Amino acid sequence: MELLTNGTGLTAVVFLPLISALILTAIPKSQELLIKGFALVSSIVTFILSALLLPQFDFSNADKLQLGNKISWIKSINANYEIGIDGISLPLLILSTFITVLAIIYSIEHLPEPKSPKGFLALILVLETGMNGTFVALDLILFFVFFEIVLLPMYFMIGIWGDKTVRTVAGFKNQIETRLYASIKFFVFTLFGSAFMLLGFLGLYYRGNRTFSIPELIELGTNGAFTGTFAMLVFAVLFLGFAVKVPMWPLHTWLPDAHTAAPTVGSVLLAAILLKLGSYGFVRIAIPILPEQAKAWAPAIAILSAIGIIYGSLACLAQTDLKRLIAFSSVGHMGFVMLGIASLTPIGINAAMIGMVAHGVITGLLFFLSGSMAHTYHTRDMGRLGGNMKLLPKTGALLGFTAMASLGLPGLAGFWGEFMALLGAFNPLDGLNVTVFRGSMVAGAIGTVLTAGYLLWMLQRVNLGEPSDEWKEMELHDADGYELAAWIPLVILTILIGVFPKLIFGATNDAVVSLLSKAFGG
Amino acid sequence: MTFLLSINFIESDKFYQGEYYYLLLSSLLGALVVSSSRDLLTIFIGIELASTPMFLLSGWKKGDRKSNEGAIKFFLLGVLSASLILYGFSLIYGLTGQLVFADISAYLLANSLGSSPVLLLSAILVISGIGFKISVVPFHSWAPDTYEGAPLPITAYLSVSSKATGFVALIVLLTKVFESSGQSWGVILAIVAGATMTLGNLVALQQTNPVRLLAYSSISQAGFIIAPLAVSGITGNYQDGIFASVTYLIIYAFMNIGAFLSVHLFTNFTKSDNFYEWGGIAKHSPLAGVLTTVFFFSLAGIPPLGGWFAKFVVFRSLLSTGEIIGISLAIVGAINAVIALVYYARISKVIWMDELKNPEEEKSFEFQSPLKVVGALTVLITFVAGIFPGIFSYLGEVSSIFFGN
Repeated sequence: MELLTNGTGLTAVVFLPLISALILTAIPKSQELLIKGFALVSSIVTFILSALLLPQFDFSNADKLQLGNKISWIKSINANYEIGIDGISLPLLILSTFITVLAIIYSIEHLPEPKSPKGFLALILVLETGMNGTFVALDLILFFVFFEIVLLPMYFMIGIWGDKTVRTVAGFKNQIETRLYASIKFFVFTLFGSAFMLLGFLGLYYRGNRTFSIPELIELGTNGAFTGTFAMLVFAVLFLGFAVKVPMWPLHTWLPDAHTAAPTVGSVLLAAILLKLGSYGFVRIAIPILPEQAKAWAPAIAILSAIGIIYGSLACLAQTDLKRLIAFSSVGHMGFVMLGIASLTPIGINAAMIGMVAHGVITGLLFFLSGSMAHTYHTRDMGRLGGNMKLLPKTGALLGFTAMASLGLPGLAGFWGEFMALLGAFNPLDGLNVTVFRGSMVAGAIGTVLTAGYLLWMLQRVNLGEPSDEWKEMELHDADGYELAAWIPLVILTILIGVFPKLIFGATNDAVVSLLSKAFGG
Repeated sequence: MTFLLSINFIESDKFYQGEYYYLLLSSLLGALVVSSSRDLLTIFIGIELASTPMFLLSGWKKGDRKSNEGAIKFFLLGVLSASLILYGFSLIYGLTGQLVFADISAYLLANSLGSSPVLLLSAILVISGIGFKISVVPFHSWAPDTYEGAPLPITAYLSVSSKATGFVALIVLLTKVFESSGQSWGVILAIVAGATMTLGNLVALQQTNPVRLLAYSSISQAGFIIAPLAVSGITGNYQDGIFASVTYLIIYAFMNIGAFLSVHLFTNFTKSDNFYEWGGIAKHSPLAGVLTTVFFFSLAGIPPLGGWFAKFVVFRSLLSTGEIIGISLAIVGAINAVIALVYYARISKVIWMDELKNPEEEKSFEFQSPLKVVGALTVLITFVAGIFPGIFSYLGEVSSIFFGN
């Protein structure tokens, strides 16, 4: 047990997937079963390890960073290997290890073309290291490294296994395959944000006593060490880095392309975990270290979030491609998360936390379902689909359920994030411009109606009605055991979080309240 | 520094001519002379000893017109640069009457000649002369042609060792001799650095020949290397700037050799020097594919590969002072890092994601064992530099202390 609490446990959760990925590459290609089995076992072990941390985690002190340690890493620049978790990162860490297990279960039978399980599974595991690492890192440089490690596997996942449809893209002379365009766009956008984010980190380092340690910088920041134009600029570049990842309007354009082009598992991981890295960065780094600047920027963030919500929903209404619709719905949902964060109130940030987890679970499931349907029907065009309920009853039922969860039906996970974010925006932190926030709240409320609109319309087009002649003759396979094994846990989680939101708030609330009281004094 | 240079030997294992080794060794000797010299004559001899054999070696492929063209260009500009350096030196000698660095700077200090126009002129001449050697804008035009024409190991040597020699000479001269006029040459160098990064990158975007692509990319990397030096000249905090430049140089050396190795392997395999025709060859040799990916992404500066730390120390040093020039250079650098990613990623896109040209064709992929050793060594160092950069920053620190006092 000692090993779990002194940081070794967390380190294992972060690096076990990476080590497994290395071992995986050493297994000969012909041993396909062994490769799949090994990847599955290693992801399950990682998940169990992260679950074992739960009893060790002291929930009565959820605002303190726990189970971590600090080892000197790069002495010459005073960067340390400093890790730890608190109530904010714990749910996200568990979500990340959990979703990876499901992603690998799904991949056992449903590998995208070209089939090469070794490379694909190894990339998933490397990706997991990056994601877990970002959630536990307490050093800006360590955070940056993990934040970037995520890019490479995702780039290759989209680029190699992605959608091969050829299309014309503005600005390109020749037609280009969707996957190639989407993968490089994803990479360039994110790198653009994070290159500037790194400059921001360095700025903090030089003004803040030459340390990269997040807890120390929070201490400094709350005591007013960062002021003036300098701090405003630093917040702006951090904002740029995180907002690209979230993604916030108008930096979101990489997302629909990446999601549409990515293989099913890729979109699931992208939606469920990768987007959270950005919003997590706001809660962990930008707001506590630069509270005054966060306050100054909050109205702008709220307005952008509100635009994101409305824009995302309207864009959804215009989609004919099922996967693209879900991708745009992510823009809207992450808009709610960011609106909650912008309110800078306990209720708003708690909403953001539960919103992140719920979005991960629900949208992850939606991408699983749409990916599987695209595989069965060989099309994602909603105009051609229809009568899914009759053709694939299991998938159809799940799609109906998930769409309901996604539109924020009370009793399911999606409800809390949206509802509380609006509540937070109604009553933002003292001193913030109430008109702007109430305006954003109204926009958000209109957004929920639009969300319900496009999801129900999607259901009507895809699930209901009579199947067209195109599909009548075809032999269509409904969800098999592997798919159900990957999906049912998400369904259960959706209901659980919906009925007992305390599962998440129990962990996050203390941490959020203490973070805000430190930052804004009471 | 010796450590940095010696690695190149392995690379040249596949040429058997005695003269080849003789010339390479002389060049290496020159490089070592440069890094240990402390007066103007020795350093000049060192620079020339390092570069003269390269004139011959870059024209080694006698029958090849490109090789000849590149060698001639290299030779003419090399001689021009030598004369520029020499002219610069003669001005200093005329001004101070001294040859030893320590005496020169003592003399300048004693007579407060730090801002004399003659000294500045001489600094500009020296920067231009060495600028040819390290191929910074606007003295870069020979590099792509020579790189393309020269045998690949020589190109690797040119882009790594010869360049390192040039940088060492530049660092030594600027910080030891022209120490007192840092304000003025710092600004010039900063402009050169910004232009070099941007121009190198933008032209690299257009390349289809992998060697030319690497040539332009190494021009842009040179911009990153001199940027901290420029800022340190303005602020007078040499230790920090040298630390960043040297760390960058060391890490850059390994990943660039690796990149040339990959290019060498694939050009030999496909017999094509247009990398767009390399579609899907990673399937023939996943090992070489992975190596290539590692090197190119490391050059792009993606963690956890070595390149990120190199870029990081440069940004760190640029921002350390809060000088407006440093900050603007850092922003230019950040934008360039993103531009560079596009063409570095393009190579791995082609080898992994594009379709094979002739899927039926069975060709055996040749990956000779000496090359494997180079590959293994450089890839190992690339990873170590990224994950435990402490080791390399230690080397950088040593040199900054060495130059600092």
